[in-house]
Formats: sequence, structure tokens, C-alpha cells
Amino acid sequence: MARRGHGRRMMGFGADSVSIARGDALPPTMQQPTPVYPAMEQKPLPLTGGEEAEYLLALKQDFRGAMRTLPGFIQPAAKKRDVERYSDKYHSSEQTDGLPDWTIDWKRFPKELRVRIKKPARDSTPAVVSRSDRVQPGQKKKRNVKEKEEVLLKLETLEKKEQQESEEEEEEGEEKKKQEEEEAEGEEEYDEEEFEEETDYIMSYFDNGEDFGGDSDDNMDEAIY
Amino acid sequence: MTVQEVRLCGLLLQEHFGEVVEKVGTLMLKNGAQNLRTILHETGMSVDLVKKSLCVLVQHGACLFISGRKGPGSPTEYRASCDQILRILRYPRYIYTAKTLYGDTGELIIEELLQRGHMTMSSTVKKVADRLTQNMEEGRSMDYSEVSSAFSSLVETHFLQRCPQLGGAAMKEGTAPADAVTPAAPAAPASTAPPTAESFSDCYKVPQVTLIGRGKRQLASEDGEDQRNAKRPRMDSEVHGDEGIYWQVNFERFHLHFRDQAIITAVANKLDQTSSEIVRTMLRMSEVTTSPSATCTKPLSANEIFRSLPAGYNISRPILDQYLTLLVDDPMEFVGKAGESGGGMYVVNMHKALTNLARATLESVVQERFGSRSARIFRLLLRKRHLEQKQVEDFAMIPAKEAKDMLYTLLSQNLVQLQEVPKTPDYAPSRTFYLYTVNQLSTARMLLQNCYKTVANLMERRLFETKDSKRLLEKSQRIEAILASLQASGAEPEQLTEVEEMITAPEKQQLDALRLHINKLDSAENQVDETIFLLESYINSTATSAS
Repeated sequence: MARRGHGRRMMGFGADSVSIARGDALPPTMQQPTPVYPAMEQKPLPLTGGEEAEYLLALKQDFRGAMRTLPGFIQPAAKKRDVERYSDKYHSSEQTDGLPDWTIDWKRFPKELRVRIKKPARDSTPAVVSRSDRVQPGQKKKRNVKEKEEVLLKLETLEKKEQQESEEEEEEGEEKKKQEEEEAEGEEEYDEEEFEEETDYIMSYFDNGEDFGGDSDDNMDEAIY
Repeated sequence: MTVQEVRLCGLLLQEHFGEVVEKVGTLMLKNGAQNLRTILHETGMSVDLVKKSLCVLVQHGACLFISGRKGPGSPTEYRASCDQILRILRYPRYIYTAKTLYGDTGELIIEELLQRGHMTMSSTVKKVADRLTQNMEEGRSMDYSEVSSAFSSLVETHFLQRCPQLGGAAMKEGTAPADAVTPAAPAAPASTAPPTAESFSDCYKVPQVTLIGRGKRQLASEDGEDQRNAKRPRMDSEVHGDEGIYWQVNFERFHLHFRDQAIITAVANKLDQTSSEIVRTMLRMSEVTTSPSATCTKPLSANEIFRSLPAGYNISRPILDQYLTLLVDDPMEFVGKAGESGGGMYVVNMHKALTNLARATLESVVQERFGSRSARIFRLLLRKRHLEQKQVEDFAMIPAKEAKDMLYTLLSQNLVQLQEVPKTPDYAPSRTFYLYTVNQLSTARMLLQNCYKTVANLMERRLFETKDSKRLLEKSQRIEAILASLQASGAEPEQLTEVEEMITAPEKQQLDALRLHINKLDSAENQVDETIFLLESYINSTATSAS
């Protein structure tokens, strides 16, 4: 307002309507923000107990626990720590990717969300995917004959699916597939042997010599004895 | 999306789906509809994780996608729905209601569907049969047909509904704008709004499914057998005749049921059991004829009500009339009279009942926070609409100083508003009326946001307590696992006590206190959700009746 009382305090409300006498002290002004947990004059009521409330509580906790085990619960990718620690072998069992259990009907989702679900290669190696809609049939566990049958089955179905994709992607895919197959096989053999022996020694060191030294052809700094 | 709603949704997503989905979900809630590339860019996570989280969100109905708003070439946009995520708070209540209405089978069906989002009928029936068989004694198993019949009855009463065709509708959105004449398939209306389940004409039709079998009990078997068993489900993917037909829980129907329950308990508390039975009968008769957003049921004649009363209540006709008159005269206005034909036509006033229930909630909030005298002032203002300060003091019979203090406290908490009515065109303070008033709708909205904040605070405190004692909880879990395995392999009592003593007494006390706190916090969340439901129903019913 333009005309404030010169030197006089202008009461916001009329003196009558809110019953403040002219000379009365106004309530003290706030100097700091209100406390985070102000003291309550009245205590809140206790919770209603009873059978129904307890049953609802049990249902709620069960539901929460169940959701953690379902495929919908997505864990972030494991962070690579600077040094591989002994306990990682035991912790990695907590972070399994549950998505393969979940059969998704892709017709109900937009095309761009398609994720080619591959079986988890190893628990210790983090899942590395360059393009998610690549088919990677090479990364199968080759332990049991039964699993080989499954692999063949899956290869057939995945092959059919791939034929439905566009052709350009197939060409690119084959190149990448070979690259990653090689990488994956190299990693697989290494890890398989280590797990099978369950020692801390690197078994490939005592291998028949085909792989040892063959990988490091590029690195001419090391002297080969 | 208010700040409190987004925060609560984030916490719910984190608890039930993990941190990855939480990040993606909160981003979509804060920024509206986004396409995949923006989401990738903003969250900075890998493509795989983002795609998986979007799949999870769509599967549970928390996210909808529409393709190409700006023409056929533009990318699909994803929009997260805050309401769907907030429903997660109410899941225990849905499951419990299904248990009271349809027994254990119904309870497990609803629980499985809530856990998985959308499922076909055959997979639901199989899973539920397996679960029921687990809990039965050795040698007995649950037949698929029993579970199927429970499923069908749930569908008949509209507690379950088919999912709308997401894929087809998405494509249709792109081509529809051009010509509105093309007859669209039953799913999509010719607008850019995503199709609701109700617009699907077959949404409550149970498909013809061939399901013959019994539940399988999960036995502890060795590895070889396990692998064979694990392979078998993949090999025998029988076609049951309902591929592509997915079912979801119909939350709206559950909400109608809760609303009816609230009205019936209110009548029982205010009047007596017989009047609540009468109201229950009236509501049951008009279940199918009343639309969900109606303000009152269709008029029912007293003769019909008399005929439909449950067999146990043999009250005579004149007594029924007296009860109905009492109900009509009650100031809560649950039941209203709509005419004289057929012995008197009576309706149940849904909207008025919800308004009164919400008003009772607000009054009790004020009473518990500020005392009964402030509550008296609040109730006075609700009844008399606008009052000057002097009039408040007179009507409430409270001394002036205290009334002034209480009014200012209520004003500072925004429960009471001030309305200025000028006598002269310049709003000179000495010549203006200052009237105190309470606006029920806006106060209800404010309290609803407070409720969301409360639940979010409760959840954060619970997470904090769990994280604090994480080490202790893990230790106790491991010890329980050891105990269970020892008992299963038949150990002596000394070994068991030895293992039990691995937890020291103070640790046990700490564990018990922790468990008590967590149970209290969880229970409090459930109770606040009841208030949330009441306030939400009131606000929605006011919104629909005003429009």
C-alpha cells in the first residue's frame, strides 16, 4: 500500500474484528525455522489391535517377502570392486537375475522393449550385453547332455525368431555373435576349470600348453622363456 | 503428482521392485510421458536394465505406453500412473477381502495375480493349486476344477477383469486420428486416451479352458531328478485354449465393496445391528444396477426390501417401516426417501454418506491434534459456514482469549480460512468483515497429502531401523536356517540348544524390540491407508458429482 502510516505501525486487521488492543504485545516473531520434531501437546491414539489387524500385518509382510523373490525384483548390476575378494563367491548367489523364469508375452509390449533373454553365463562374471536384441546362443553352459538338448531346442526357436527380425540386423548380429562367442568361450573354459578343481591355483597354468602363451601373442614386452 | 505422492511411490517401488525400477519410475512420475531415449539419457543406466524395468512396470499396470503421438513415425511414449502404484498400499486389504468372501482359494488367486500383475487363467489356476497342495496333508492334492470355479465366481462378481489389448490399441492410436469413421475394434475408443478395461466388451467373459489335473506337490529331490523336473515344464507347454487372454485384479470393484462396508459399519455404530442389516440388503440389491460413480442407488420399494431381507431376520413389516423412517430422519442422511409408491421408495445416498464420513474423519483429526474445544470450534464452523470471531466465541461458549488462541492455531495450520467481506470499495481494515470458514473439500485434500507424507515417513523409518540392525537380522536368519536344517535331519535337543545359544540374551532382546517396532510401523501404514481410502473416495465422488 502506498500510504503506510508515517512512523506508525499499521495493524493488518482492524482493532475490533480480532480483539487486539492497540497497546498489546503481538506474539513474538519467529527467529528460526520450526523444530523438526516439535513437542506434541496431545499424544496420538494407540493403534487398533485385533485379529484382523494382525492378519493384515502378516499378509503385508509376506507379500513384501514374496515380491523380493519374484522375477519382477530387479537388482542393479554388480559393481566391480578394485580387487576381487574371496567373499564375492558367496555374495554372488544373492544377485541372480530372475528374469529367465518369467515368460513374457511380447505381443503385449512395444517392440523396442524386447530383451533377448539369455541364460546367465556365470555367476561371477557380470552380464555384458552390447546390444540387447542380439541372439547369443553360444553362451550356454556345456555341462550336461540334457542341457545340450535344451540348447539345441532354444537355438531352433531363437533362430526362427531371428528370421522375423530385419535382415540388416542379422548381418551385424552374426559378426558380433562370433566375436562374443570367442570371448565367452575363452572366459568359460577358464572359469569352468577353476570351479571344477576348487583350488586357488590357476589350473590353466598347468594345461597342455595350447592355450597358455597363445593369448598373449600381441604383447611382446614379456620375454618368453 | 504432488511431491508427497512421488516420494511415496518411489518408496513403494523400491520395496517391491528394487532400486532400478524405483529410479525409472520416479523419473517418469516427475516428468510425465517420456520416450525410451530420454529415460536412458536421464537415468544413465544400461539399456538392458531400463528395458527390464519398463517391462516390469507395464506388466503390473503401473505404466502405460502410447505410440506416436506426433504421427506414425515418432517413438512410443511411456507414462507412469501414480494411482496404480499407490494401490500397492492396499494389497493386503484386497487379499483379506477375497479371503472373507471366497475362502482360501480366492485369497490365493488374488495374491498370485497381485504379485504377478497380469496372468492367464490357466497359469493362475495351476500355481494356486500347487500352493494349496503344499499346505495340505500328505497324499491329498487340490483339483484344478475347484480352483477354476473359484476363479469364475471372482470374474462373475467383477473382482477380476481381462486386461485391455495393449498391443493392438497402441498401433491403432497411430492410424485412428486420420479417419474417425473406421469402426475400431472393441478395445480402443477413437481418442488418444489409453483404453480402459471396461471398454472391452468381453472383459468379464471367462474363456473356454481345458484344465484337467491336480496340484503338484514340490518334493525335495536330488539334483538329477530336479533337473528332469525343471525340464519338464518347459517341454510340456500345453495349450489350454486361453493364450493371450490376461487377467488383472479390478481395483474399482474392491473399492466399491470397501465403500459399502464403510457405510454399513457407520450405520451399525450410529444406530443398531438391524438397521445396518437393512442397509446391507439395500446395497446388495442395487449392486448390479448402480454405476460406480452414482451419487445414490436406484430407488427400492419397501416391499422389495422386505422380501429380500436375509432369512434370519424375521422382523415384521411395520417394524421395517419404522426402521426405514428412522434411517431417513437421521442427520447423517444415509438413506433418503424418493417417493411413496410401493410402500415408500428408498435410496442409499452414497455421496452424502461419503461426505459425512470424511467430515467425521476431519473432525476427529482436529480433536486428536488440538483438543476437544478446538474440535468444537471446527464443528461449529463446518455447520455454520461463515462466522465472525465474536460469534465463534458466543456459539462455542469458550472465553474470548482462549477462543482467539485456538482459532489462530487452526488458522496457522490451514484448517480454517479467513474470508474478507468489505463494506467499502477500499478494503479498509476497520470497515471489513473478517469471517472464519472451513472449506471441507480443500481441507480433505490437504489432509490426504498429509497422509501420504505420513506413510512415506513410516516407511523410511522402517527401512532405517532394518538397515541399522542388518547384521543382527542376518545372524538370526542364519541361525534359524541352521536350526531348521538340524531339525529336519533329526538332531538331539542338546545340539539345538547349543545352536540357539549362539544368540546372546541382550541380542535376543534387541531382536524382539526390533520386531516389535517394525510390526508397529507396518500396522500403522495399514491404518493410515484406511483413512487415505476414505478421503480419496470422498474427493473422487465430489469431483464426479460436480462435473
